[in-house]
Amino acid sequence: MDDMMFEVGTALILVAIASVIAGKLKFSIIPFLIVLGMLVGPHAPTIGILDFKFIDSQGVIDFLGQIGILFLLFYLGLEFSVQKLVKSGRNIVTGGTIYVTLNFVLGLAYGFLVQMPLYETLIIAGMLSVSSTAIVAKVLVDLRRTGNAETELILGMILFDDIFLAVFLSVMSGLLLGGTASIGATILSVGISIGYMLLFFVIARKGPPILNKLLRITSNEIFIIVVFSTMIFIAGFSEKLHVAEAIGALLFGLALSETEHSERIEQLVVPFRDFFGAIFFFSFGLSIDPLSLGNAFWLAIGAVILTIIGNLIAGMIAGRKAGLSHKSSLNIGLTIMARGEFTIIVANLGVAGGLSVLIKPFSALYVLVLAILGPLLTKESKRIYRGVNRIFKWSEPVEKGKKKHSGVREVSEVSEDSKIKLDQ
Amino acid sequence: MSFIRESELPGIGKKFLIQTRSGDKLAVIIHNDGRREMYHFEDDNPEETLSQISLDDDEARQIAAIVGGMVYKPKELETIEVSLQDLIIEWIRVEPHYHGADKSIEELEIRKRTGASILAIVNRHHQKINPGPEQILSVGSTLVLAGERQQIRQFKELLIGKQTGEPDQS
Repeated sequence: MDDMMFEVGTALILVAIASVIAGKLKFSIIPFLIVLGMLVGPHAPTIGILDFKFIDSQGVIDFLGQIGILFLLFYLGLEFSVQKLVKSGRNIVTGGTIYVTLNFVLGLAYGFLVQMPLYETLIIAGMLSVSSTAIVAKVLVDLRRTGNAETELILGMILFDDIFLAVFLSVMSGLLLGGTASIGATILSVGISIGYMLLFFVIARKGPPILNKLLRITSNEIFIIVVFSTMIFIAGFSEKLHVAEAIGALLFGLALSETEHSERIEQLVVPFRDFFGAIFFFSFGLSIDPLSLGNAFWLAIGAVILTIIGNLIAGMIAGRKAGLSHKSSLNIGLTIMARGEFTIIVANLGVAGGLSVLIKPFSALYVLVLAILGPLLTKESKRIYRGVNRIFKWSEPVEKGKKKHSGVREVSEVSEDSKIKLDQ
Repeated sequence: MSFIRESELPGIGKKFLIQTRSGDKLAVIIHNDGRREMYHFEDDNPEETLSQISLDDDEARQIAAIVGGMVYKPKELETIEVSLQDLIIEWIRVEPHYHGADKSIEELEIRKRTGASILAIVNRHHQKINPGPEQILSVGSTLVLAGERQQIRQFKELLIGKQTGEPDQS
């Protein structure tokens, strides 16, 4: 028992160190923690007396990571409200639909192309369609793009994407976790999933008066105990119904999103989400055998290329439809490309449903590449725009600059570049 | 009129896009964690920022107060507000060491002894317009006075108390 605590503590210290390094490099912690997990996982070689394999404590770490998923999705549920989406306007719904449809169809096509069975194909299509809310929001803040014109559209599209994720996970968990082979039983379990989801939508719609009263708890201590316990209970209960536990947490968040307490809960959840979320990425890394990555290498690279193309096209269409400039539209595709937590969650569902062993290393590589490449491409969007512009000859700003005062433009361009260098 | 557009940034916070009368375009982002960011865009190219600033919650509040004119007020404005021929409307804050602090209007016999009239007593929490004789001139409240110059001066002497030796403004 003593050893257990020490092992978990050591693991957490490693997580902390990786987070600090990621922070210093101004990078998302997600890829760092996954790689760290792979490096110290049960598959890693022992180096001298240093044995970081965390075999005894793996159960505990996995469990903490699962709690991390619950918090991630609970927060997601709290954040997205249908009202918010309706308020944010038609551009977002159009953009989001284009984005999700294009990527999902590309994913399906890819799955069939590489001759995956149906369920695996669906899971791959799902993985390709869901962007990483955590990485995108972080990149926007870090690169100081929150004031840009395209930012609302990007975040709105992600919100839309998240709703797609909720529906997708519900349906897939019905398909995969029902544990039956007959068509009738499968339809039944999908029906249960969807019905379960609708139930929470109804609660979110009709429930707030009652929930408001129930949650009118002054003490933060009791409030947090009530909310978190209920969340974990609902997650566990959902699993009993063969609905993924993550969905339970998400739906519970959704039910609370329209109450007057939603902001208070959000504030309380964030630290837990961040802490347990970090453990989740780490434990995901732990579960991956680096040697198995080779098998999925080409599969993942193909998916990465497809995602880059799909995102650029979807971003351009969405941006241009919303009346943004070519440059802003390009930014949309580049920013929204990052993949992270939700892709892993989709993959985990596939693994839980007993699908192909390739899913896990595939998701690891796919997420790793795009969690690193996405933010990098976003950062270099200016240079990419200049390159792409040479081919398509869109740009008005450059012509305008030439006409008006090319000297000034030159200077500002140079100073922009040097600023980026200073950042690094 | 300047133009302000408010929009939601899900997961980040709120964004305010401000177009000023002079043609400046400014974006203010209030993050959920309390941080504020401001971006000032180029006039002829709304995609390039001229400058940007990141503030913590307390810094943002301080700057808001400075911009809003709450911290620095020109000296003149502090006392004399309006003067209509002989009638002067002026305000004064009741400091704790004043002779008249925490006394009622009746107790000080203001109207009888000075001729000045208290139009309003303004507190941080509430304001009393046209106060009755039983009203207390509580410490920290601001009195809005009306009267002729002489009457106002007498009122101040009465309120402050001659023994405190506050230099007379006029």
